[in-house]
Amino acid sequence: MARPHGVRRLFRWPTSRQALADELEAEMAFHVERRAAALVEEGWDPEAARQEAQRRFGDASTVRRECDAIDRDRARRAGLADALHDGAHDLRLAARQLARTPALTALAAVTLALGIGATTAIYGIVHAVLLSPLPIDEPERVVSVWEDWEGEPASVSAGNYAEWRRHSRSFAELAAARGASVNLAGDGEPERVPGLRVTAAYFDVFGVAPRLGRAFTAAEDQPGEDGVVVLSHELWSRRFGADRSLLGREVRIDGRRRTVVGVMPPGFDPLAGGPELWLPMAFSAEDLARLDEHSFWTVGRLAPGASADQAREELRAISTRLQEAAHDGQRETEAHVIGVVEALVEGYRTRLLVLLGAVALVLVIACANVANLLLARGAARSREMAIRTALGSPRRRLVRMLLTESAVLAVPAALLGLVLAAVGVRALVALAPPDVPRLSEAGLDAPVVAFALLLSLGACLLAGLAPALRAARGNPQQALVEGSAGAGGGRDRMRGGLVAAEVGLSLVLLVGAGLLIRSGIELARVDPGFDVDGLLTVRMSLPASRYPEPAQIAATFEQILEAARTVPGVSAASLTNRVPMGGGDSSNGLLPEGVAFSQEAVVQSQMRLVSPEHFATLGLDLLRGRTFTAADRAGAPRAMVLSETTARRLFPDEEAIGQRVACCEGTPDGDPVLKTVVGVVGDTRPWNLATEPPPEFYLPLAQAPPDAWRWLQGTMDLLVRTDIQPETLVPALRDAVARVDPELPLYDVSTLEERVGQSMAPARFNTFLLTVLGAVGLLLAAIGIYGTVAHGVEQRRREISVRMAMGATPRHAVRLMVRRTVPALALGLALGLAAAVAAGRVLEDQVYGVPLADPATYAAVVAVLAAVALAASLLPARRAARVDPAATLSKL
Amino acid sequence: MAETGLDLLRGTLDVLVMKSLSWGPLHGYGVAEWIGRRTGEELLVEEGALYPALHRLEKRGLVESEWGLSENNRRARYYQLTADGRRSLLRESALWRRYRDAVDRVLSAVEA
Repeated sequence: MARPHGVRRLFRWPTSRQALADELEAEMAFHVERRAAALVEEGWDPEAARQEAQRRFGDASTVRRECDAIDRDRARRAGLADALHDGAHDLRLAARQLARTPALTALAAVTLALGIGATTAIYGIVHAVLLSPLPIDEPERVVSVWEDWEGEPASVSAGNYAEWRRHSRSFAELAAARGASVNLAGDGEPERVPGLRVTAAYFDVFGVAPRLGRAFTAAEDQPGEDGVVVLSHELWSRRFGADRSLLGREVRIDGRRRTVVGVMPPGFDPLAGGPELWLPMAFSAEDLARLDEHSFWTVGRLAPGASADQAREELRAISTRLQEAAHDGQRETEAHVIGVVEALVEGYRTRLLVLLGAVALVLVIACANVANLLLARGAARSREMAIRTALGSPRRRLVRMLLTESAVLAVPAALLGLVLAAVGVRALVALAPPDVPRLSEAGLDAPVVAFALLLSLGACLLAGLAPALRAARGNPQQALVEGSAGAGGGRDRMRGGLVAAEVGLSLVLLVGAGLLIRSGIELARVDPGFDVDGLLTVRMSLPASRYPEPAQIAATFEQILEAARTVPGVSAASLTNRVPMGGGDSSNGLLPEGVAFSQEAVVQSQMRLVSPEHFATLGLDLLRGRTFTAADRAGAPRAMVLSETTARRLFPDEEAIGQRVACCEGTPDGDPVLKTVVGVVGDTRPWNLATEPPPEFYLPLAQAPPDAWRWLQGTMDLLVRTDIQPETLVPALRDAVARVDPELPLYDVSTLEERVGQSMAPARFNTFLLTVLGAVGLLLAAIGIYGTVAHGVEQRRREISVRMAMGATPRHAVRLMVRRTVPALALGLALGLAAAVAAGRVLEDQVYGVPLADPATYAAVVAVLAAVALAASLLPARRAARVDPAATLSKL
Repeated sequence: MAETGLDLLRGTLDVLVMKSLSWGPLHGYGVAEWIGRRTGEELLVEEGALYPALHRLEKRGLVESEWGLSENNRRARYYQLTADGRRSLLRESALWRRYRDAVDRVLSAVEA
């Protein structure tokens, strides 16, 4: 190290106090030697010169002590500077190394970016739907409260709610709510707007105040005093142009004038029903006495110190007391208290977490692939590593250098990953089934970006760990002697392990996708119980303000039906309270005549209030007896039609036709109103194809129970059958309805085919995504195998040449290379099968009609994987056949 | 502190060391030689005392050091004045001259 003074100063401070002390020793030794040498030149005897030199130097231990005191904190600072310096050096070196192999670096970065982008996109959705806090005050104290129906949470009756509110001590606030779509008229087209009727405390339960104006007062929550409305920010902006002067003005809702008193902040939708306005509930004394009409959501804010369990106990005691008083006897009831956040996301949690798990598997496969790439490069660089080690670079430093390369790789991977994630989130939101709560909030906000960055760093370090450790453990001597081709079998084992991991993880993904696909095929085969094609449905609601009398409502719907029949192209039309796939629950208890009332004897069944043509319009199978005719009018003997399931449940051992059944009006145990079963029809699947048909029964519209219109809130579905494109009928139907009532909007317009499709949308979405992820995993695994075999051929060129020189045919050479994949493939398949069986359980609720351990699915997946893996190893292995032994061996 | 014939003050040694480095980098032995030659071995009796001075100056950022090869090809630590060191040397030299003149005037004064 001949050094021109002060020209180039490589700033290298020693790193430790010990090192500084060592330097001082060297300095002092040099001094004494030089002095002694000088004295010898003056003619001193060498031994005497050494002693004189030491005397002149003085007490070395004092010098040591003083210098140590001076250097102490310098050593501390030097350590830090040293680390920073080394870090910067490593970063520069890493960037240079990566730039030296641009194709490989780009491939690694893109592979990782795909994994990171996909994972971040799904995480963005999970974060928005499951993790980000609801925009309400202390969400952990806000609960949904439910009554119990056969062990399941069920809607609450007004009477129960009132008693709970009066007597419970566990709640700071308790409020009831009920969906109430309304007709918003004036200022242009009449519009159907989803809304909620809520008691005055509703907004306090969530601790959210209106953005403008005020919420309802308790005084306004009384019948007759309730001419007010609170608008959502969205409705206020969309329909009223965000006009502040709207406060205090009147709008027409269901034909009634209501004063706008407030506007809620944007996104206030804690029950995820998408309401655009809120009306006072205004329970009447009569409403509050009803114990058996379960149609209200109840939400509460727990009092300070009260737990959900305490609240549940208390509510249960109150309900039981109430039921006993109402029915003169021992009655045990139950209550359910569920965190509102939990209740909101319940149906989505598993699905989303399955997706997140699946995408994480893809990311791990991507990491394994990149690890494989880096291993290949590590093999090419084993000579460089060996030289560095031989020159005294500590192993630790080599590992750090390689890990730094991986960390530098994380930068392009993260950037590209974020771009992909931004696109992915938008695509997912667009493709996702409707009604996923809070999905629209999903995006790349700060926590999601932070997640992506951490993920990138983690993924790159994970991918870099194996090659780094491998390089550091390598034997430099061997590598130097054998050159870059002699990396040995250990590295092959590691690469084999990575391939096995990729195969295994792909298998898990593909089994999941396979099960969902099979389940989808099974579902497509399910008979919904009616003729799906050529059916169009629209919904209408006659507002109580303009149609106060049940007779008026029935007559108006009769006119609408007549008008619809005259529309050209309509071959049949009918009315019902619920078309199939129309959602909702209208369960009523049925009790056969002569059977003593008990909760066990009552069959809960879905009520369908229909016009006589409904059975023909829908295409229901008539199994026995007859359907309704015009003769089943008001005043005629009360008739009913049962579904097959209902008939079997009510009359397991007898013919149902001719039997009489109590339901829907009067009281079952005191004064039953009996109806005669005139027919039995086939079952339908009213909610979606996957749910088994529930019990159903049909009543003629003309004999509707007096309270029915209140239950239905004046709402009916019009169903028409046609031979032409159903959608094309909509304008003509609109005109027909407008001739009866020009202020009546049509809403929920769709074909039954669409409805069936929509009911399957969430399942289809998950199937689609899992299939995409499985395909990506399979592709990555194939690339990994291809790379490993290709690299193997390069490494064993010499061995192959020798074998061919000894008489092996090209076929042998190819077989030799392919055979090397088999152990890794077999190991991967075995591990993957075990993991898939274990992981498959999370799909339990999502798989229909197929056993989780479906042998066909497993066999197909294993066959596909094995075929792809062998093809991926066969392609590069064919290069072995083209090895030219003469050329290779002459290089030796 | 080393005993010297003139009881050298700590600050004095620092100035002398900086002065010795003002012509270019030196190792510790070189500094001792330089001072010895200029002072006829009067000031620096214990040469080891140089090293705490050098380390102190380095800590204060007035000199910096690095390892290099000596004239006879041995590894040696070379010290060099920094820009701060040069400024400090000018300041301290001026101070010392004023101090010397003042002491001088006192000692050469004649009883009036």
